[in-house]
Order: sequence, then C-alpha cells, then structure tokens
Amino acid sequence: MENKEKGYLALVLHAHLPFIRHPEYDDFLEEDWYFEAMCETYIPLLDIYERLTGESADFRVPMSLTPPLCNMMSDELLRERFRRYYNQRLELAEKEVHRNRNTPFHDVSEMYLRKFRRIRELYEDYYHGNILEGFKKFQDMGKLEIITCGATHGFLPLEIRKEAVYAQVKIAADDYKLRFGRGPRGIWLAECAYNPGDEVYLKANGIRYFFLETHGIIYGSPRPRYGVYAPVYCPSGVAAFSRDMESAHQVWSAEMGYPGDTRYREFYRDLGYDLDYDYVKPYLHQDGVRRNVGMKYYKITGKVGLNAKAPYNPAEAREVAASHAGNFMFNRERQIEHLNGFLGRKPIVVSMYDAELYGHWWYEGPDFLEFLFKKLHYDQKTVKMITPSEYLERHPDNQVLQPSMSSWGDKGYNEVWLNASNDWMYRHLHKAVERMVDMANRFPNADGILKRALNQCGRELMLGMSSDWAFLMTVGTAKTYSTKRFIDHSNRFIGLYEQIMGNRIEEKYLADLEWRDNIFSHIDYKVFSTGAQERAAKAG
Amino acid sequence: MTSSGKLDGKISQPDSGSKTLPESYGSTEAALLPRDPNWMFIYWEITGNSKAEVSRTHGHDVFEKSRQVIRVYDATGGQAGRYFDIPVMIDARNWYINVQESGRTYYCEVGLVLPDGRFICLVKTNTVNLPPGRVSDVTDEKWMTVSADFDKLLQLSGVEYIGKGSGEVAKSLAQRWEMLRSVFSRAASWGVSSLSSHALHKGGAGKNFWLVADCELILYGATEPDAAVTVSGRKVALNPDGTFSMRFALPDGNMDLPIKAVSCDGTDSREIEIKVTRTTRNDGK
Repeated sequence: MENKEKGYLALVLHAHLPFIRHPEYDDFLEEDWYFEAMCETYIPLLDIYERLTGESADFRVPMSLTPPLCNMMSDELLRERFRRYYNQRLELAEKEVHRNRNTPFHDVSEMYLRKFRRIRELYEDYYHGNILEGFKKFQDMGKLEIITCGATHGFLPLEIRKEAVYAQVKIAADDYKLRFGRGPRGIWLAECAYNPGDEVYLKANGIRYFFLETHGIIYGSPRPRYGVYAPVYCPSGVAAFSRDMESAHQVWSAEMGYPGDTRYREFYRDLGYDLDYDYVKPYLHQDGVRRNVGMKYYKITGKVGLNAKAPYNPAEAREVAASHAGNFMFNRERQIEHLNGFLGRKPIVVSMYDAELYGHWWYEGPDFLEFLFKKLHYDQKTVKMITPSEYLERHPDNQVLQPSMSSWGDKGYNEVWLNASNDWMYRHLHKAVERMVDMANRFPNADGILKRALNQCGRELMLGMSSDWAFLMTVGTAKTYSTKRFIDHSNRFIGLYEQIMGNRIEEKYLADLEWRDNIFSHIDYKVFSTGAQERAAKAG
Repeated sequence: MTSSGKLDGKISQPDSGSKTLPESYGSTEAALLPRDPNWMFIYWEITGNSKAEVSRTHGHDVFEKSRQVIRVYDATGGQAGRYFDIPVMIDARNWYINVQESGRTYYCEVGLVLPDGRFICLVKTNTVNLPPGRVSDVTDEKWMTVSADFDKLLQLSGVEYIGKGSGEVAKSLAQRWEMLRSVFSRAASWGVSSLSSHALHKGGAGKNFWLVADCELILYGATEPDAAVTVSGRKVALNPDGTFSMRFALPDGNMDLPIKAVSCDGTDSREIEIKVTRTTRNDGK
C-alpha cells in the first residue's frame, strides 16, 4: 500500500500515581486518588479503545503504565476497595436520577448513572476486576504500546549512585515482563528527567527508547538537524523522542488550552458539598467530613463565583469536545505539511500528556481523544498515528547526539524536586541507597529471613525514591501526607537495616512491613549490588 | 487530585516508626546535586571526630581563626582548574551554589582557609556535570542505524546530509521554546517567590572585559521540630529535624528580619532579630 501520509503523530499518555495502599486503615483518603483516576481516566480510556476497535477505527497510543500503578491495579485489597468505591457512586447516581426528575440536572444525573454502570460492566464483565487485562489486550492487538517507567517513578538526575539508577530500571523491566509477557520496548523517565549517560541502563534491559522534554534535544550536542521532529540516538544507540511544544501548549495552557472552555464541566463544584448532609453522608469517608465525591453538576460557565455556575449540559460539552478535536487535528495537519516541506523528511510530532489530564482534570478529555482518533482515521490522510517502535522500524537511520540534562518540570531542570521545601530529603535518601548497596554487596547469597529482610529493605527504599513526595512538597498539596510517607519509608528502612546489621531481625516487625508495603512481590535485593550495575553499564 | 493531609485526628495510630529522621549519620561526607545550568545544591556532614582531628593538627582555635568556606572547583576535562570560595558556616550543613558558567563539571570541598591562606579540606563531594542551557555550537553531524535488538549499531556517513542549513532548526525551536516556557508554566501554582534565581546577564556584547555580580540572602536556623516559627511575621515551615532556611532576593536598602519561635504548648518563646543592609556601587563603565 502506498504511504500517503506526510508525517506522524505520537500522542503519548503517561499514566502514573504513587503507590498508595493502607491496609492498616479500613478507609483511607489518599486511596481516592487512584479510585478517581480509575473512574475518570483509566477505565474511560479502555472504553474508548473498546469502541474504536469495535468500529474498526485504527489508532495508536504509546502509553506508560508505571510499575506502582500496575501494582495497584493488580492488588487484591485495592481491587476490593475499588468495588466498594464505584458501588457507592452507582447507588448515589441511582438516587440522584430520581431526585432530579424535572429539574435542569436530570441529564447530568442520567450521565453519571450511565457512566458508573459502564464502569461496572467493563471492570467486572470485561476485565474480571483486573484492568491490566484490558491494556494488555490492546497492546497485543498492536493498538497500544505500553511502556514502563522507573520502578517507583524515581527522579534519576538527583541520584548519585548508579546502582540506584540501575535498580529503578531493572525492577521496572522485571515487573513489566511479569504483567505483559515480554520486556518493555520503551520507558517514560519519571518527570521526563534525563541525566546524560543513564540510558546505558535502559539498553542493558533491552529498552530501545525514551522521551525527553523539548530542550533535551534542542540543547543536545551536536545540534539536532530536525529539531524535535525526528528522534535521535544517544551514543549508545538508545533512541530519544522529544516533545513538540506546540501541541502541548494547545492542551495544557491555562488561558488558551481547550480544557478551560466555559461549557466544560467545572471541577471545583462537587456534590459532596452541595447535597444535604444526611443524604450525602453515606458517600463520604468515615470521618464524615464533606469532600469531593467526584460527581459535579455545573459547567465552568465563565469567570463567576462557584455559586453562580450554570447547570452542566453533557450533550453540549460533547459537541465542544468534538470541535476541539477537529481543531487539534487541523493544526496537526497544517503543522505536519509545513514541517514536511521545511525539513524534507516525514516529521514525527510527539505530544505528551499526563494521562490523568484526560478525564480527571479535563472531564471531557476522553471524549476529545475518541473524536480525535476517529477523525484521524476517517477524515484525513496527512497525519498517521504511530508508536515509537513502529517509527524506528520504518526509519532506523537517525542522527547521533548527546541530549542535554532536562525535565518537563517548571523551568526545565531539577528545581521542582530540589528546592527549599524538599532538599532535606536527599541526605537521607542517598544514605539509604548507600546502605542498600553495601548490604547487597555484603550478602551475595542470603536466604531465609535475612533474604526477606533485604528484599523488604529494597521495597522501602524504592517507595522512598518516588519523585511524587518531593513534588507534592513543592506544590504544597498533600504536603503532610507526602512528608509522612517519605519519613515512614526511610525509618522503616533504617529499622530493618539496623536489625540486619545487628544480626537480630525481628520476624514480627518484618512481617508487618511486608504486609503494609507489598509492592514488587518478586523483588530481588541483589539488583542493588555494585556488580549488577557494573555488568549492565558494560553491556550498555 | 483530592488534596488532604490525613483523616482528621480521630483515627488511632496503627502506625510504625517515629516521626523524625536521624539528625546525622555519624560519618563525614558531602554530596553535590545539579539543579539547573547555573545552580547546584550541596549538603554535608562533618562529625565531631573529624573536627577534633583538624583541631589536633592545626590548633584548638583553628575553627575560630579560619574562614569557613565551600571551595567550588571547575573540573571540566577531568582536572581541577579554577576555583572560587563561598563563605559559609560549617554548621549550615547545606547550601545552594550559583556558578557563572553552565555546561561545565564541578565538585566542591568544604573546608577552612587559614589566616596564612592555606586551605584545609574537611570533606569533598562527587562531581556534577551541569547542562549547557543553550543550543550547541557543535554542528558536525553523525548518523547511525540501529537494529531492533541493538544487535547492529551501524555508523553512517554524514556526507549526504551536510549542507542543508544545519542547526538552524534547533535555533528557531529554542527561541520558540523559551518564549512558551516564559509565558506558560506547567506548575504555575507553586511559587516560592523567595527562590527566584534571577539569572545574571553578561555585560554589553562586543566588550572583551566584563563583570557581573549579585548577592542573595540565606537565613537559616533550627529549633524544636514541633515549634512554630515566624520570620517577619510570616510562618515558616520547619523541616522534620527542626531546621529551617529561607532564601531572599537582597535588593539595596535595609532589611529587618525578626525571627520568633514559640514552643508547641505556647508557654515558651525565643526571638532573634537580624538587620541587613545592602549598598551596591557600580562604576558604570
């Protein structure tokens, strides 16, 4: 078949949440982040993929599912708790449809009922309580390319010991194999944070490519001939794809971005605050404090107070999403036509977004994506959606350059994760890494309870490394929780370390930690040894 | 997502572990981290034993009579070349370091400058490569083809690609990126204004000789971890170990910084007031 397209679009979704699971509580507030993202983003995305596949509309999405997210999606306790979560919403939505008869809120309450029923259907009947089944299905069909991420979304440029970098990549690759039956071809470096040279650890794990923020390539050396519109090879042969800022801007920008349209749903006006207290109380947390329940009846309306918002009209909002999808596609067609002539090569436009933007923050985001994918399939020939692996297969010749250190955080480097609000963390984190490496070197063949303790040390260290804690301290939301999490994991590590070095491991203490922090059931502490890292560096 | 701390108080604490982290680890060491093209972060710990040893060799009053500094070395190309000193208090335990030249390799030593000018290194950091922060001057192109399993890494000749406006794409994209970045920041809500690192701009183009200089103010201290601290009436967040630090832009003029700590039960308080004056004179050349 003739290739009529003038260029490619890789629309990359980065799905991630930190590992939040608290078996010690019956009901835990921050676990809601995951349940909300399930209802508003992850399951709606699968819903789109199901429908498009049913209609034979072809599409391609490179999508990260980070190891913490995969561990949560397959965790028994969280699977049960998610059932409780959506069943409560379903019950409330049923009541609401009755209550809102003959009011301006009838359509929107019908919408929630329909959506929660569909969530139940997909979750239970299609994926049997494990939505990884769904993602794997679309990967096996070639529609999705699921990529991994550092094991706990660790911020690699702020690690000093390369053993820690290697462990983040290796544990992630092993976890991926367990879930998807083959190794990962690509990786999303947490926060797009790249430290020159670290890609050798990707290569040692068979990972062919990663993503960079725009200036990672623009400021690379030598100068990139095609800017961000072609991938480059690092000297080791690992490919780097870089972010197109125009398409990013169109969606992200607070002023000009699509999500700010006044007909879209207002995020901050929630039923948890609007309903009669006694009526809504069963759907709140056990402490009975009013909080968001995730159902919202108003549209953005304009620059007016929350009490002056107008009722949300689902049909109207869907039409807006369709027209925004049309606008986005039009812009990509023009952009790609222009670049094709200007560069003399088929450009690849890489648009990268947090997956949770679509659905959680921008409620109509999944509708937008569905319209966009359909329009790209049916309405034009200029732009072809592609995965990075497909691109590299078609275009294996690329420029070699050394990308620059960079991240997609504010100001483009490491400051979001290293500033006065969180810089105190690093001396503790680095000390734990140093001790972990020492122990892995000292005990090359542990078994029994020592092995268990060493593996649990590895879990606590990994959980402490999540870039999320430093990020939340910077932005100031959930600062107490993120500070506590970092301190808890650090102290649990120290407790185990002292028991191991003092040859007095307490089984009860260890079992308690294994029960609390059960991420990476197959972790092998030997991954932290200097020998493992050095072998990988040589192979890369 | 839903923001919160923990569930309001009434939950018992089925929790393990203490609330604070160790103040120190009992070993003399230091680390250097990259923040951006012009800034690095250093932290260090110098044990009582290490200090005692220096006192034994150089005299019991060596810490009082010497200048305490961070010595920042430019080690680009593998060898220590130029250095400059930043005066600090060794008890500060960490610092942000501004360097003029991006894209270079640095490491630091924390130590003492004796009255006779000799330098005693107390602890040395790792090295850090800072990013260039601008479009590369190197325009030679290399090309490669890579097979799917990395089996083949084949270097290609660049000849056929040369001569088509090499590097211009990068330059124009860089301008556009800088522009977008300046008008729209992805995390606009977080603004610790005191942390603004205003970049220094080189003096007039075309002149061979130039000088730029600026200074900032760092205030730091420590109290009980559960105390409430204010600086100039503004509440300050304490680190879990009870330390705190703030960084201010320091314009010309006088600045009063009253610092007040109140114990958690409200019965005890301490105050320190710091006055700072800055005067800048520029010869205007």
